[in-house]
Amino acid sequence: MTSKIINMAEHIKDDADRMLESMFASDPIADDGFSVRVVRKVRRRIWVRRLTLPLATLIGAAISAKPITGLVTTFAGFAQLVPRDIVDLPYDALPQLPYVILGAMLLATCMVGLRSLED
Amino acid sequence: MTRSEDHQLVARVVSGGDTDAFGELVQRHQSHVRNFLRKLTGDYTMADDLAQDTFMHAWDKLRTYSGKGTFIGWLLKVAYTTFLQSRRKAKRYAEILEEAGHVADIEGRKSTTPEEEAGDLERFLAVLTDEERAIMVMSYACGLSHREISDATEMPVGTVKSVIFRGKEKIRTAFDIKDHQHG
Repeated sequence: MTSKIINMAEHIKDDADRMLESMFASDPIADDGFSVRVVRKVRRRIWVRRLTLPLATLIGAAISAKPITGLVTTFAGFAQLVPRDIVDLPYDALPQLPYVILGAMLLATCMVGLRSLED
Repeated sequence: MTRSEDHQLVARVVSGGDTDAFGELVQRHQSHVRNFLRKLTGDYTMADDLAQDTFMHAWDKLRTYSGKGTFIGWLLKVAYTTFLQSRRKAKRYAEILEEAGHVADIEGRKSTTPEEEAGDLERFLAVLTDEERAIMVMSYACGLSHREISDATEMPVGTVKSVIFRGKEKIRTAFDIKDHQHG
């Protein structure tokens, strides 16, 4: 009921309202290619965004290629310092598939638990 | 121009990034948005640039449109925010120029509004603040309800009503209109 009264009050017009309406009245503005220009701009933006990540990755890779090569060489040198008996570990010493699966399941359960705690 | 058609187009844009659907939305509402900004700025070229920026912002923020109010109401909110941002930038630019010892001519730039339209309306709008201007244009030029204006400007409905009342008082004084009410 109150909202109806408010809406009715909104529609009651005085001379100032009529004058304002006639002053503000204007013909619709013709599109004249405006929407085409906007859509073209939007499409350009989409392409720029699509290209930005791969381009940034490429530039980053090009810049970091030399330092990464240096790091790899250094680590290769460190690997030679590791005792021989650690490098020649028997196959049995590596974790077996059932243990890997059990570990993955435990990790997943922990992550789900943490997420529900966060929520 | 129905509300459900707007909502369908918005859904197409949001779900699949459909640029054709967005183009249709632009085509449907460009007149209202450009008209709003033209009346707000009083400068046709600047208004059309701002209208383009408005639609670009709308493309980026379309996911935030909840579909509660009308789409044009939401769009005018984006347009008003874009206008305020440009005003702040222009003001900051003028301050920098002033600090650098240059005379800023931001406010005094030449208007590109055709002579025939820069009549009574321009003289009336000149006495209003940016906020009053925006609300009066939304109400009388765009035909938005007080509720829609309230949503667009993020002001309480009561404040919107008092701003409109104040604007009307100003025009009554300026144009010497007697207070006769009509249904």
